[in-house]
Amino acid sequence: MRKYLQIFKISFEEEFTYRLNFILWRIRNVMQIFLTYFIWSTVYSDPAKQIFGYDRTKILTYVFGIMIVRALVLSARAMDVSNDVASGNLSNYLTKPVNYFKYWFTRDISSKVLNLIFATVEFILLFLVLKPPFLFQTNIAVILAFLVSIIFAVIIYFLILFLLSSIPFWIPEIGWGSHFLVTVVIVEALSGSLFPINILPQGLQSIILATPFPYLIYFPVEVYLGNISGWALFGGLMVAASWVGVLWVFLNVVWQKGLKVYQSFGG
Amino acid sequence: MDRAIIVDGLVKDFEVTEREPGLTGAFKSLISPKKKIVNALKGVSFSIQPGELVGFIGPNGAGKTTTLKTLSGLLYPTAGFVEVLEFDPWKRNPEFLKQISLVMGQKNQLWWDLPAIETFELNRAIYDIPTRSYNENLKELTELLDVEKLLNTPVRKLSLGQRMRMELVAALIHKPKVLFLDEPTIGLDIIAQQKVRDFIYDYNRKYNATVLLTSHNMGDLINLARRVIIINDGKILYDGAFEDLIMQYAKEKIIKATLSNENNISNLEKIGKIKKLSFPEVVLSVPRSAAAVAASELLQNFPVDDLTIEEIPIEEIIRKAFKSEPKK
Ligand SMILES: Nc1ncnc2c1ncn2[C@@H]1O[C@H](COP(=O)(O)OP(=O)(O)OP(=O)(O)O)[C@@H](O)[C@H]1O
Ligand SMILES: [Mg+2]
Repeated sequence: MRKYLQIFKISFEEEFTYRLNFILWRIRNVMQIFLTYFIWSTVYSDPAKQIFGYDRTKILTYVFGIMIVRALVLSARAMDVSNDVASGNLSNYLTKPVNYFKYWFTRDISSKVLNLIFATVEFILLFLVLKPPFLFQTNIAVILAFLVSIIFAVIIYFLILFLLSSIPFWIPEIGWGSHFLVTVVIVEALSGSLFPINILPQGLQSIILATPFPYLIYFPVEVYLGNISGWALFGGLMVAASWVGVLWVFLNVVWQKGLKVYQSFGG
Repeated sequence: MDRAIIVDGLVKDFEVTEREPGLTGAFKSLISPKKKIVNALKGVSFSIQPGELVGFIGPNGAGKTTTLKTLSGLLYPTAGFVEVLEFDPWKRNPEFLKQISLVMGQKNQLWWDLPAIETFELNRAIYDIPTRSYNENLKELTELLDVEKLLNTPVRKLSLGQRMRMELVAALIHKPKVLFLDEPTIGLDIIAQQKVRDFIYDYNRKYNATVLLTSHNMGDLINLARRVIIINDGKILYDGAFEDLIMQYAKEKIIKATLSNENNISNLEKIGKIKKLSFPEVVLSVPRSAAAVAASELLQNFPVDDLTIEEIPIEEIIRKAFKSEPKK
C-alpha cells in the first residue's frame, strides 16, 4: 500500500513542475466551459423554453456537471502508457516488483485529485461570475448512485486508455497516436461531453448507450440530474459494470500477449 | 544454490517489418507488411556462480543487450532455458525482482523533472526497504559515487556523468544480489569511468553480488572481470579467464603521443612498432610488460607534449582471436 502512496505523491509533485503548462491548461478548461455555457445559454434564452426535455436550469446544470465529471473522469495519465510501450520505457517497471496497472491507476487518481481541487475552485469562480441556475442535488440515494456511476466511469476510461496503449506492442511506430482518434473523436462526441446523448434520435441513442462511452460522462451527469432513476438507473449501472468486466478481461488477455512480443526497445 | 545464472540453448528471434523508404513505402508496408526474422541469439549457453563478476563482450549487434534483457525478464525467450537465482525471469516473481537490477547506460529510470532523491524514495517504497537500511544504503552509495550534494537538484539539470551515477544509486538502493550492467560507463569521462568501475568492484566484493557487465571499453574489464564471455552474431565464441585472452591476444599495449617537433623522429622505431605516424601524432605498439619503460624512454628522448598508454580495443582482440577460426 505504501508503494502506491509514494507513487501518488511523486506523481502529484511532477504535475506541478511545469507550472506554466498547467496554468494554460486550466485556462483552456475554463474557456471551454464558458463557450459551452454561452452556446446553451443562447439556445435557451427563454427560461420557460424546453427542448429535448431540458429546460434552462437543467441544461446549464448539465454543462456545469460536465465540468466536474470531466475533471474526475477524463483527467488521466494512462495515455502515457503507449509511449512507455513504444519507447521501451516500460522496461523500467517490468524489472521492479510493482504492478504496472496499479501503478498507472494510482497516477490517474493523483491526477484526478489535483484536477478536482482546481475544478472546484474554477467551479466556484465561474458560478459567482455567471450566477447560473444550478440544481443542487439533495437526494442521498441519487448522490450515492452518482458516486457509483463515477467510479465505473473512472475505471472504464482507465481500461480503454490501457487497451489503446497496448497497440504499440504490435505497431510501435504509432506511439501516442493510438489515442488521438478515440480521445478526441469518440470520447468527446459519444461520451456526452459536448451534448447530452438523449437529444439524438432514439435508434442512434440505443446504439450509443450499448457502448462504454456514454458511461463516462453522460450517464453520471444524468444520474446526478435525477433524469435517470429506478430500473433505468439500475440497468445503466449494470451495463457499466458489465463493460468494466469485459474490458478488464480483454485487457488482461491483450496485455499478456503484448508482453510476449514486447521488444523492449533501447539500450 | 551453486549457480546464480543458468542459460542453456537460449534463442531469441525478433520479428521486424521491413519498409521501403518514402511515403509509398510506408503505405505498402501498411497493406502488405514484409516480415523479416532477426535471429538475435542463436543458442547461447553459459552459467555463472554466485559472487562472480563476468565481462560480457562482443561487437555491435552481437546480442549482449538481448541476453541481459532476457535474463531480467523483459524479453520472452523464443527457445531455450533461462534461470536466475532459481527463478524463471519471465514469470517476474516479485521475490525475484527484488533481488536483481538491470542498468542500461542509455536508459534512465530517474524522474526527469524531479530531484533524484524522489526516485530513490519511490524505489524505497517499491522495494519495501526498511527505513534504516534505506538510509544506510543511500548514505553509502551517494558517498561512494560522490553525489551527496546533488540529491536535491532536478535530474534534468545534472550532467550526463552525474546522472549516470544517480542512476546507479537508484538501481542499487535495494542491494540487488544479481546485477546486469549494460555499458555502464558509456559517455563518461575518464575520472567518472574510474569511479564507476571502482564502485562496481567494491559492490561485487562487499555483497558477494553476481555481476554480468557488458562494455566496449577494455578499461572497464581490466582489473575488474576475471572471466569474460565473448559473444558474436548471437553465438558464444569464448568463455574463460580474461587473463588467458589478454596473454594470447593482447600482448601489446598502445602508446599514443603528441610530439612538439620532428627531431629524432626516425628513432621512434627503436621504442616500439610504429602503427601510425602522422606528425604530430604517433601511435606505437609495445609489449605489455615493457609499456612503462617504453613510455619513459619516449618522454626522455623525444619532444613529447602529451602521452597516453592504452589497451588494445576489445574489437581488435576479438578479431585477432577469431580470425584464425576456420569458417564453417
Ligand atoms: N527490438 C528489436 N527488434 C528487432 N531487432 C532487434 C531488436 N533488438 C535487437 N535487435 C537485433 O538483435 C541483434 C542483437 O542486438 P543487441 O542489442 O542484443 O546487440 P548488442 O550486443 O547489445 O550490441 P551493442 O554493442 O551495439 O549494444 C541485432 O542484430 C539487433 O539489430
Ligand atoms: Mg547493447
